[in-house]
Amino acid sequence: MNPRTTLLTLAEALAWWIALAALWLVLISTVDTLERVVGASAAAVAAVAATAARRVVTAR
Amino acid sequence: MNGWILGATLALGAGIGAALWGVATGPLRRRVVAQNMSTALACPALLLLSQGYTRPSYVDLALVLALLGPVGTLVFARLLADELADDPPRAWGVTWVVAGFGAAVVGVLCVATGPSRALVKLLVVGALLIGGNVVASRALSGGFRGVRRG
Amino acid sequence: MADAVIVVVLLLVAATATTAVAVRDPVRQALVLSVLGVVLAVLFTVLQAPDVGLSQLAVGSALTPLLLLLAVRKVRRRARGREDPE
Repeated sequence: MNPRTTLLTLAEALAWWIALAALWLVLISTVDTLERVVGASAAAVAAVAATAARRVVTAR
Repeated sequence: MNGWILGATLALGAGIGAALWGVATGPLRRRVVAQNMSTALACPALLLLSQGYTRPSYVDLALVLALLGPVGTLVFARLLADELADDPPRAWGVTWVVAGFGAAVVGVLCVATGPSRALVKLLVVGALLIGGNVVASRALSGGFRGVRRG
Repeated sequence: MADAVIVVVLLLVAATATTAVAVRDPVRQALVLSVLGVVLAVLFTVLQAPDVGLSQLAVGSALTPLLLLLAVRKVRRRARGREDPE
């Protein structure tokens, strides 16, 4: 993987992370530090999964 | 009993009653459309109940139904693809009426909630509800040609 | 008078369950069972048990009909496979 595709993949994962973390913050009831940490971690895992999934789906 | 619960009762009684009649009688194409409509009507009813009982946590039920209702319909569309292929359901009128009802309920609830994170959550639920409804209806009428039966 | 909504939903549950028994073909029954799952979830919500309603939605709306339809398909395929070699 050359540096350009690495950068594009990282940018896409970051975009997914921002969208998913924002969705988490909207869907929970009270926002405190624990919720922020949990939301950021869950969004990170889901962003990696979403980037990989999109690659698989569009490669077909 | 306030106006919200009354509205939910009417939506459930009339809507789910009609959906039950549609799912029990008639050809297969009417039954799958009625099953789709039952989930698309129960979601706004749950939103109205959440406002009527003043429990914002009930919106999570509507969120899960907005996600899982179309999934259930897609299960039927996939596994009954052969039987539906010769007689495809065409019920876009009903679909748009129910989607309009869902949008109206979400709109009224947004006005009642006022600007906050809860408002954005309602809008997310509304978007999932209408989007899921349209996707499921399109799958029922055989719109997604790229998916072939296994 | 919040009892009115409980009465209406209970009547809907009774009607849907009766319909599920009255419909004989398994494929059509799966459709009615999906509606029954949703109506039961609404009943649990109206009786102020939203966690139970959440679990009911997760199971009843997609999983139960899927299991039923897959079982019907498996049984029919096996029956068809037994007829053909003869």
